Amino acid sequence: MPMPAVLKAKWFWYSLLCVLCWGGWALCSKLGSNEIPARTMQFIFTFGALPVAVLLLILKRFQFENSPIGIFYGTANGVLSGIGGLALFAAYRSGGNTSVITAATALYPMITVLLAISILRERLTWLQVLGLGFAAAAIIIFSL
Amino acid sequence: MHLAPWFWFAVVVLVCWGIVGLLQKLSTNHLSAEWALIWLVVGFLILQPWLYPGNVLLTYSSRSLLWALLSGVFNALGAWALLAALKSGGKASVVSPFTALYPLVVVLVAPLILHESINLLQGVGVVCALAAVVLLST
Repeated sequence: MPMPAVLKAKWFWYSLLCVLCWGGWALCSKLGSNEIPARTMQFIFTFGALPVAVLLLILKRFQFENSPIGIFYGTANGVLSGIGGLALFAAYRSGGNTSVITAATALYPMITVLLAISILRERLTWLQVLGLGFAAAAIIIFSL
Repeated sequence: MHLAPWFWFAVVVLVCWGIVGLLQKLSTNHLSAEWALIWLVVGFLILQPWLYPGNVLLTYSSRSLLWALLSGVFNALGAWALLAALKSGGKASVVSPFTALYPLVVVLVAPLILHESINLLQGVGVVCALAAVVLLST
């Protein structure tokens, strides 16, 4: 049986790795939030993320990429991710069901997709649109 | 209408991370995945002075502190993988929803680790999520 083209695509495997890592992140976030308040969670969380950045810096042999606009997007990404993460820790700490909160907050790609289509002018196939529908259905069901 | 206490926090997450999904793609248009992740962590560091909890930090159990640290490690590794997916040709409109299916891991593992059960409806949600992954990957 021939291998589906997607299984040969690097982005697919990177995405799968991301799903597994973020599954671990969500669980660790909940376990930590049982005792630690949101602000402190985000503070300590950053010290967990820091070694990964340092490791990548070493792997890149400290070769600086000079792109002011890229640096702006990357840093803004971190600030907004951090504020979002802070709100997520607060949501976990408020005592709701972990699966429900995780799934509800994972609705964010709906906003990303709308922005990607309108700003980046990306196009979707009808199968991918159907996939988005299933993703939305899954997230809504998890939130019930 | 009664809204759960976590609802408004979830709205903040949705808005922030919805924009983040776009910024991730824009940053990898100009930087490697590795440098995009490094600047993302710099963004985290900018918030640190405001978040600094003081001496109270030492009062928490080492186990909870370890979970918080591991949370950061897993998040950064996942973010790097996502940025690498975008850098290697994945569309933001496909990679972002695909990687947002990480709650599937939580739904599957939560009963074992957190002792939170999953009902039939959530089981249907798992099937929908799997279908979504297959369709989004076409």
